[in-house]
Amino acid sequence: MLVYLPDSAPGPELSTLAPSPASLAGKRIAVLDNGKPNAGVVMARAARTLAARTGAEVSLITKKGPQGLSANAAIPMAPDIFDRLLVEADVVITGAADCGSCTAYSVHDAIELEKAGKPAVVVTTTKFEPIAVTLSASFGLPEVRKLVLPHPIGGTDEPTLDDWADAAADRLISLFTTGS
Amino acid sequence: MTTYEAELVEVDDSPEAILDLLAARGMGDGLPVVPPTRERVEAMLEHAEGDVDEVLFTLQPRAGIVTRRVVAINAVLAGCPPEVFPVVLTALRALAQPEVNIRGVNATTHPVAPMILVHGEIARTAGFSGGVGCFGPGNRANATVGRAVRLAMLHVAGAKPGFGDAATHGQPAKYTFCAAENLDESPWEGYARSRGVDAPSAVTVHCGEGPHNVHDAEAAGDPALILDKIASAMTSLGMNNAPISQAEFFIVLGPEHAASLAQRAMTRKDISSYLFDHARIPHHVFKRHFEERAWTQWMKIAADDHPLPMTAEPDNIRVVVAGGPGKHSLVVPSWGMTRSVTLPLGG
Repeated sequence: MLVYLPDSAPGPELSTLAPSPASLAGKRIAVLDNGKPNAGVVMARAARTLAARTGAEVSLITKKGPQGLSANAAIPMAPDIFDRLLVEADVVITGAADCGSCTAYSVHDAIELEKAGKPAVVVTTTKFEPIAVTLSASFGLPEVRKLVLPHPIGGTDEPTLDDWADAAADRLISLFTTGS
Repeated sequence: MTTYEAELVEVDDSPEAILDLLAARGMGDGLPVVPPTRERVEAMLEHAEGDVDEVLFTLQPRAGIVTRRVVAINAVLAGCPPEVFPVVLTALRALAQPEVNIRGVNATTHPVAPMILVHGEIARTAGFSGGVGCFGPGNRANATVGRAVRLAMLHVAGAKPGFGDAATHGQPAKYTFCAAENLDESPWEGYARSRGVDAPSAVTVHCGEGPHNVHDAEAAGDPALILDKIASAMTSLGMNNAPISQAEFFIVLGPEHAASLAQRAMTRKDISSYLFDHARIPHHVFKRHFEERAWTQWMKIAADDHPLPMTAEPDNIRVVVAGGPGKHSLVVPSWGMTRSVTLPLGG
């Protein structure tokens, strides 16, 4: 017998990564924190280590809610924060994508930044990488730059997070300068 | 008008063959299905009101295209009788409203499932149950409409566990979660009308947890005790209402509890206000548990020992009557960053 398939075509607008800079020297790195436990800790450390390694500077560390005063990981970044990032940063580290809705919106925010010409790395974890991969494709940009850290970020002590952040510098350089 | 044509494939004529086909493509909810043949889908679409292949909206996170035919295909799979088709479509249309945040609802690790409430004439004409055991098994309309919505989430929205749906455990309400309002035994006007939706039939969606039961046998003779018990069920630090003040609660009053409260001249608004006032936790306890609190500003500046409500305003506590005889009511907390939607029925 003939039966219909119950899925339909996905209909996202396809987008592309922002051009990658040849080097991070002199670039301004921003950290966009969604308020997940330890997200700010590990991303700020990674940004500082990266800046020291490459001659970049950390220009902005902010939560993603209005005026950077708060964050809710389950909704997009606030419009005023998006505007600030466009003015004050050349590249952005965002996350943490270590749950479901926060992965969806970290990926969403990264794509909005890429579309606006700002290379953005989503910080996810081994356990949530498959979700980040699926959602990147669903939202029309499978190539979203992803830094995969061990799991979990929340509940892990600061010295361990510092080690993970420091060890990520090479990977971040590659993600920002080559897109992969 | 943009259209989308659903794909037909050949499959052996057996219950196992269609299950194998779905499994091979990573589809289905794991339960047996009715094969969506052209004839069955056409019968379902007899209850549609517009072009059956018109692209109506998309469902996130996959941005899957929704047409009336795509809805009908999933409704057939779920075992829906054709007359419930407009309820399935209206529920999906409601879930696609921006304030629902279906991208977050589907992707989250939280076990959120959309609760679908059916109001008005369609509940009677299509055979929905708002009476005894209405959220349980045994009624085809309730069971299959909730299931059809879930199948659309899986197939169209891409809410596949481990991919577009990160729910740590999920929950049984993710299979089906639908009942009618018990308007015949409600002491108040219909819920949809109370929200300004003045139509013969309507559908509400609320994305939240499974129901938390509240038993008060009224042995002490004081209806306030019903509400105190409901308030106690609302004050859990583990629910997302605690750190997110825009989050709603749905209070599904059993008809006996509703009647007792109405006898004390309590209106729906009185009940919401009482619960707003009594479902509270001291500010310092919230602060100890949540570094980030998505709260309205007035709550943030309160003194540390001030008892703060579990939601920002009484109107976030929604009261609806459903169920049969017995001294039980239900509390349905919210996922948090979502709002309920009530729409008039439309095919």
